[in-house]
Amino acid sequence: MSMEDYDFLFKIVLIGNAGVGKTCLVRRFTQGLFPPGQGATIGVDFMIKTVEINGEKVKLQIWDTAGQERFRSITQSYYRSANALILTYDITCEESFRCLPEWLREIEQYASNKVITVLVGNKIDLAERREVSQQRAEEFSEAQDMYYLETSAKESDNVEKLFLDLACRLISEARQNTLVNNVSSPLPGEGKSISYLTCCNFN
Amino acid sequence: MADNLPTEFDVVIIGTGLPESILAAACSRSGHRVLHVDSRSYYGGNWASFSFSGLLSWLKEYQQNGDTEEETAAAWQDLIHETEEAIALCKKDETIQHTEVFCYASQNSGDSVHEIGALQKNASSVASSTFTEPLPSAELPEERHSYVTNNEMPAKHASESDSKISVEEGDVEESPEKEKYCGDKTCIHPGSDGDKVENKPIVDDDNNQLKRNVITYHQMVQESRRFNIDLVSKLLYSQGSLIDLLIKSNVSHYAEFKNVTRILAFREGKVEQVPCSRADVFNSKELTMVEKRVLMKFLTFCLDYEQHPGEYQDFQQCLFSEFLKTKKLTPNLQHFILHSIAMTSESSCTTLDGLKATKNFLQCLGRFGNTPFLFPLYGQGEIPQCFCRMCAVFGGIYCLRHTIQCLVVDKESRRCKAVIDRFGQRINADYFIVEDSYLNKETCSDVQYKQISRAVLITDQSILKADSDQQISILIVPPVEPGASSVRVIELCSSTMTCMKDTYLVHLTCESSKTAREDLESVVKKLFTPLTETEVDKEELRKPSLLWALYFNMRDSSGVSRSSYCGLPCNVYVCSGPDSGLGSEHAVKLAETMFQEIFPSEEFCPPPPNPEDIIFDGDDKQADAPGTHTTTVANLESPEESKKLESPLQS
Ligand SMILES: Cc1cc2nc3c(=O)[nH]c(=O)nc-3n(C[C@H](O)[C@H](O)[C@H](O)COP(=O)(O)OP(=O)(O)OC[C@H]3O[C@@H](n4cnc5c(N)ncnc54)[C@H](O)[C@@H]3O)c2cc1C
Ligand SMILES: Nc1nc2c(ncn2[C@@H]2O[C@H](COP(=O)(O)OP(=O)(O)O)[C@@H](O)[C@H]2O)c(=O)[nH]1
Ligand SMILES: [Mg+2]
Repeated sequence: MSMEDYDFLFKIVLIGNAGVGKTCLVRRFTQGLFPPGQGATIGVDFMIKTVEINGEKVKLQIWDTAGQERFRSITQSYYRSANALILTYDITCEESFRCLPEWLREIEQYASNKVITVLVGNKIDLAERREVSQQRAEEFSEAQDMYYLETSAKESDNVEKLFLDLACRLISEARQNTLVNNVSSPLPGEGKSISYLTCCNFN
Repeated sequence: MADNLPTEFDVVIIGTGLPESILAAACSRSGHRVLHVDSRSYYGGNWASFSFSGLLSWLKEYQQNGDTEEETAAAWQDLIHETEEAIALCKKDETIQHTEVFCYASQNSGDSVHEIGALQKNASSVASSTFTEPLPSAELPEERHSYVTNNEMPAKHASESDSKISVEEGDVEESPEKEKYCGDKTCIHPGSDGDKVENKPIVDDDNNQLKRNVITYHQMVQESRRFNIDLVSKLLYSQGSLIDLLIKSNVSHYAEFKNVTRILAFREGKVEQVPCSRADVFNSKELTMVEKRVLMKFLTFCLDYEQHPGEYQDFQQCLFSEFLKTKKLTPNLQHFILHSIAMTSESSCTTLDGLKATKNFLQCLGRFGNTPFLFPLYGQGEIPQCFCRMCAVFGGIYCLRHTIQCLVVDKESRRCKAVIDRFGQRINADYFIVEDSYLNKETCSDVQYKQISRAVLITDQSILKADSDQQISILIVPPVEPGASSVRVIELCSSTMTCMKDTYLVHLTCESSKTAREDLESVVKKLFTPLTETEVDKEELRKPSLLWALYFNMRDSSGVSRSSYCGLPCNVYVCSGPDSGLGSEHAVKLAETMFQEIFPSEEFCPPPPNPEDIIFDGDDKQADAPGTHTTTVANLESPEESKKLESPLQS
């Protein structure tokens, strides 16, 4: 009946310093665009893209920071219920790499501990201006138990791969969880999560 | 990141409490350039929620009470021109007073030893094989590491099966989760060296695994982030203005809610569940058939009492409590209706108000579930943040840890034209919205504030045990002396994401007449016993144990009229802090009224375009999709379909 047209729904959240290309990555993936200049679209909260992986429809809900990272003021609620985090830095900006531990601290504090984190070094089209070597980033991501990828939102390098690989991992994770966690179905008398209050026939 | 703040805005908002955040969202949504700042490092001001450690540092700040380390702020006096004057803002928050903390959970190694002793007495074979002889206290803890592979649910595992526990001297199995969860901050390596103080928490873990539910202080600190402890304790009325606003503005997308599952009453020293839906009434084991019939009849009458004026006309001006006495309702039913359903006062509520409140309650019942209330997952503190996100999505700029030193007023026009921040940066705007606590003493010299008394308790079991241990309950405890304020008790379980497993978070709230402890301690004592006094033998009968308790008073600026603030320019608007009411209707109304005053012709928080409605075509498929994947570029549902219609749960 009202079962929507997808097999999985995942919330993916982007974080990282301002200017590293988060908005461009989202726009590139969802709309196939690389916007010149500032990419923030006023009034767009999250982007949706449905992809098909091995015959299954996966709906990705991709959330951008809404610029709150600019003065280090991301709301905690932004991290809640995210299935995956894309932690982005700019390979041409040492500073954006050096801030990663700070971002990890925030993740540890506010995100679910089941969240999958991917480290992304963006702007590889600017190879001549690279400040962070691939090896350094690989070592860092290994130490932090993160998956690592380098991308260019501008040239569309690895952008598709980033999101699709992530979707695959999310699917296998979700499968494992339903196998293990059958117990976690709501108990009788337990309150119901109402994630979208708009669902109700009032309005 | 060493980015400079822009300096031209339409609206500058100082403070990130609920009314300010709603206003920020409304202004930004309406196309105005908004700067929203808070001098604190967190969102929400007195509407915030904290992790356990976060709450401890919050407390420290108020307990230090002396001069907070005065940051080297740029001098602003020189930046004021001759045609201007400045109104300095408050440097120190004075809205919280009389904080008192009590920890009953085990904190030191001496206690651990005691616990282990107690455990040997009554806990099973699990322990007896390894806990042979008491060792000198200092050594004991480190000898007793036990690890369950999944460290998230120690207590449950322990009671489930012995075999899952390895209690072996010196043999420590640390699960990978454990390692990861601890991160680098609190990681406790249960190494073999016997004299490290840091090892204690591990030992405490052991005790809990064996002795069910006895949570230690160290565990609470270790699981700190599982807690989201609200400074104000509120619920959302399922037909209230906050729910309506959340839905209308789509801000509801940012949060999740749970239904409050039970309405409780406290009568003759006992906690009971109040039946409030039709099904509850019928299924109640406590009520007799006659009581059920009388209650149903009365509630059915309340749903459309206006149609039956004859029933209550003669009592309109009388007290509701007197009216109830004439309705053949037994005393317990009268209590339920008066205190738990209408939630009114015995000594002051008129019949008409009581009927109105009862009807309102009944009408709210069926919307989302079995009781008329909702609670946001992760705590009330999420709500202001959700509105802030909405503001940011529409271009609002956010800056926490940003102190504003003064308002700059143009002498001639008597309008505020700018603020000066702590870097000496001038930021211009047309309108300024300031939360009450940021105003200085002179501005507030004529203001009389009320106070709210609050207690926050961490306990080990529910005040009313039931089949499910995941209940969200509200209980109104009527005042002992007439005229005093009733105490609202809200008990949250761990599935609300506000407290760690095997604990409950209990919030008490009332209007202050004295300090919070003086106002609330008697109710706390009626409902709970300190952990140390718990008699382990009477497991079944015992009251829930207190593990930790905090009392504090919070300023209630909700009743202050604008005219009582001295010397504020007309384009400076003041938002109040939290009020003591159960809902957030006051904050919503304040924000809406203020918005309409500032922008009279604009709509307040209209729905934004639904992101789900943004449709991308299937044509721009990327050619470089990896082999195993087929990419179908979003083919989204039509707008109608994407709004799942779900009928509200009927009671
Ligand atoms: C404690 C309590 C809480 C309630 N909360 C709600 C609520 O939140 N929302 C809600 O819609 N109803 C509420 N009701 C009203 C009650 O649920 C209604 O009686 C019910 O909707 C009628 O359904 P029924 O066919 O099961 O009842 P029956 O008793 O079999 O009703 C027979 C017919 O009488 C009519 N009727 C009976 N009672 C009422 C009434 N009170 N108002 C209007 N028509 C009535 C109905 O149209 C129904 O078809 C509450 C009642 C009680 C006692
Ligand atoms: N050369 C290059 N520039 C990029 C790339 N991604 C983003 N940018 C530019 O970096 C700037 C910041 O991008 P934006 O997406 O707004 O970053 P955000 O603040 O992280 O969201 C913009 O000027 C983009 O044009 C990329 O892959 N290559
Ligand atoms: Mg961006």
